[in-house]
Amino acid sequence: MAVPLPFSENELRLLGALLDHKVRFMIVGLSAAALQGAPVVTQDVDLWFEHLGDEAMSRALREVGAAYVPPSIDNPPMLAGAGAELFDLVIRMDGLGTFAEELEHSVEIPLGGYRVKVLALGRILASKMAANRPKDKLAIPVLRDALAATQAAAQRRPNT
Amino acid sequence: MNQRVRSETAANAQRWARRLCARVDNILAAHPSADRDNVRHTLILLEQPPLERLQRSLIRGRAFAIFRK
Repeated sequence: MAVPLPFSENELRLLGALLDHKVRFMIVGLSAAALQGAPVVTQDVDLWFEHLGDEAMSRALREVGAAYVPPSIDNPPMLAGAGAELFDLVIRMDGLGTFAEELEHSVEIPLGGYRVKVLALGRILASKMAANRPKDKLAIPVLRDALAATQAAAQRRPNT
Repeated sequence: MNQRVRSETAANAQRWARRLCARVDNILAAHPSADRDNVRHTLILLEQPPLERLQRSLIRGRAFAIFRK
């Protein structure tokens, strides 16, 4: 039996439009950790954009019937419309360098016909340690152990 | 599934489990403070494609959110 994708068709179209329009973004947070093998749970997929709300991003979102909603007094910035429900926007990553610096250390993961940049597991751990909120503290030991396991696995398969 | 195929499948499963335990032991030897379950689950997830890993993570995350309500 085929494994169902975690993304709906609309969600994949949204990611594809962003990539087609060369919008620079990466998946971060616990969903990025999960993609790299960490046994964590999450409810959404956090996206970190280099330039939130720029023209390329807006064009890509319009193309698939979605939109960027800038922050207001009470609400953080968000995506709205077709295929946007699963995605959360991240506006700052504690303890990390600039987007461009972190992109250099990102990994590329195939997602439904696309290759998407994903923040490296070690950098996710660094950001959780820096943020140090109660929910981050819960994830830190799991991420640390997952990093040890993935590094050991990578040493067994140096060419993958 | 006939008896012979069942035996082979069970033997393969046992071999896989022994290999997995050995790998977990090796990692724990290098990282004594690591949690055995975290390491074991990570190694199991690394045998799955990335999208399936995310799928499992989202299903469990959403189930947990419903349970909390």
